[in-house]
Amino acid sequence: MTSQDAQDLNFDDFPPEVRKFRSTVREFARDEVLPRALKNDQDAADAFDWDLVQKGHEIGMTRAIVSKEYGGLGVGVVGVALALEEIAAADPGVALTFGATMLGQAPVLLSGDTRLQARFLPLFSGDDVVLACNAVTEEDAGTDLVLEQSYPHARNVTSIRRDGDEYVLNGRKRFITNAKVASFASVFGNLDGYPGATGLTCIMVPLDSAGVTRGAVADKMGYRNCLGTEIHFDNVRVPVENLVGGEAEGGPINIAQGNMARPSVAAISTGIARHALEVAREWAGSRVQGGTELWRHQMSARKLADMAAAVEASQLLYRRAAHRVDSELPAPAYEPAVAKMFADRTAIEVASTAMSLMGARGYVKSYGMEKIVRDAFGSRIYEGTPEALALTITECLYEAGDEDDPFE
Amino acid sequence: MQKFESTKQAEAVFGSLFSILAEDEAFTSALRENDMTVRLLHTKPECRVYVSADAVELGEEVPERSTVTIKMACDTADALWRGELMMPSAVATGRVRIRGKVAKVLELIPILQPAFDRYADIAGEHGIAGGK
Ligand SMILES: Cc1cc2nc3c(=O)[nH]c(=O)nc-3n(C[C@H](O)[C@H](O)[C@H](O)COP(=O)(O)OP(=O)(O)OC[C@H]3O[C@@H](n4cnc5c(N)ncnc54)[C@H](O)[C@@H]3O)c2cc1C
Repeated sequence: MTSQDAQDLNFDDFPPEVRKFRSTVREFARDEVLPRALKNDQDAADAFDWDLVQKGHEIGMTRAIVSKEYGGLGVGVVGVALALEEIAAADPGVALTFGATMLGQAPVLLSGDTRLQARFLPLFSGDDVVLACNAVTEEDAGTDLVLEQSYPHARNVTSIRRDGDEYVLNGRKRFITNAKVASFASVFGNLDGYPGATGLTCIMVPLDSAGVTRGAVADKMGYRNCLGTEIHFDNVRVPVENLVGGEAEGGPINIAQGNMARPSVAAISTGIARHALEVAREWAGSRVQGGTELWRHQMSARKLADMAAAVEASQLLYRRAAHRVDSELPAPAYEPAVAKMFADRTAIEVASTAMSLMGARGYVKSYGMEKIVRDAFGSRIYEGTPEALALTITECLYEAGDEDDPFE
Repeated sequence: MQKFESTKQAEAVFGSLFSILAEDEAFTSALRENDMTVRLLHTKPECRVYVSADAVELGEEVPERSTVTIKMACDTADALWRGELMMPSAVATGRVRIRGKVAKVLELIPILQPAFDRYADIAGEHGIAGGK
């Protein structure tokens, strides 16, 4: 659980492939994402910048986690998380568009099922961008589908029933990032006959299947540059070959997927905090009040120093968590949850402090800080709220350790 | 009831199994190309196997470090090699835990086929029957 094998990871010196990928993504974030961020944020809730997403696809953002064998970049969770930090420091909504696609791919990756992998993963390596999504949340079951101990309490979960060579899905998913624009969804439903969500089962569903309807886009406070949408499944039939893992084995896949994703969400939060710090640093370096630049006033200096320390700590936590996920199966629960809980809080606190340093300008849309503050509140909702993460972390604290276990 | 009665019995079964792989060119060259060594830490009963491109070692004294370490109960290993338990579901449920270059391990699984083919016979020779 605690410090162990970070010894072979130098946090300032990533493998050459990862460094190269990060620098390409950094340019993309600076030259393409940032200049459009404010305008896209103010567009209608259902507007989507396909051109930008296509450009991200061209540098590998939709296939970063996919192994080279299937046309991906194979940069691991460390590479993905570093890239998402860069994009989130320009616009977290765009980062999540790519992140949600990887989440849609994750069950297939985790399944180790080479037939499923050969069918789905190469689709993300064509000339034109293909997006995916991961559909878990429902009207009556939110955190109940995040915490394993709550599965028995989940109500009205999308149902899955086998009929010959097909599975039949019925239900409605909510707030699904990319559902409006994705070609595929990894859908978690409950197999008929199991109470609550104890029969959770994961199936890959092409979203052009008969019976799939995509609902209206949620008009969100932040993260407006990715689309969160309802999906309805009305007697949707998919071939049994689309089953991921086994029937009623979706629970562990869902948990593993969450543990795998959390370092990347922590990276997005870190990117938001870093962006807020960068804007505030710039502002406090040039704004003169009381006869000197703001940063020279001790109280402002303290704010900037605290922000900088929190961003550094968030970076270290998510990078270590990502490294652990890249070197452990099943992915550990503890480090990713700690990293996400800390980084999500850092994003909100740093954005809020940064806004205060800008006075009225922090509160006005055109300066950009107002958007950062709105975005900062988004990350702590998906892939585990602070409460869900706290329960996971605390469970790890009380887990009986085995002193003789060479893994401990 | 666990199937394996003693470390000796487990070492006989898993030692023979990996000796077969050690003679398989596809397996040894994959280890060599990836500069990979594998340590299998079986529990219940304890049985340590260390596999490199050049040798299979058994017992308490196997090297402490390897590029990949796999930990599982002997009965879990038995079910895996018999094909009764699928690796992804064993990993997802934590019955098999892996440390090291995770992506590389998953790539290795297909080249373990000779071991899957021979396991039931080897286990039978050492008094480990199929079924629960
Ligand atoms: C930007 C964004 C993107 C998203 N993308 C996706 C996506 O791609 N796919 C997807 O499936 N979902 C997605 N979601 C939905 C998200 O995963 C859910 O909103 C989240 O799981 C919480 O569920 P809920 O909103 O129903 O809240 P609820 O579960 O109703 O929770 C409300 C509050 O109660 C607390 N709570 C609930 N249960 C417990 C408990 N047992 N113990 C202690 N406290 C508890 C929660 O922590 C929270 O504070 C997204 C959400 C957002 C904001």
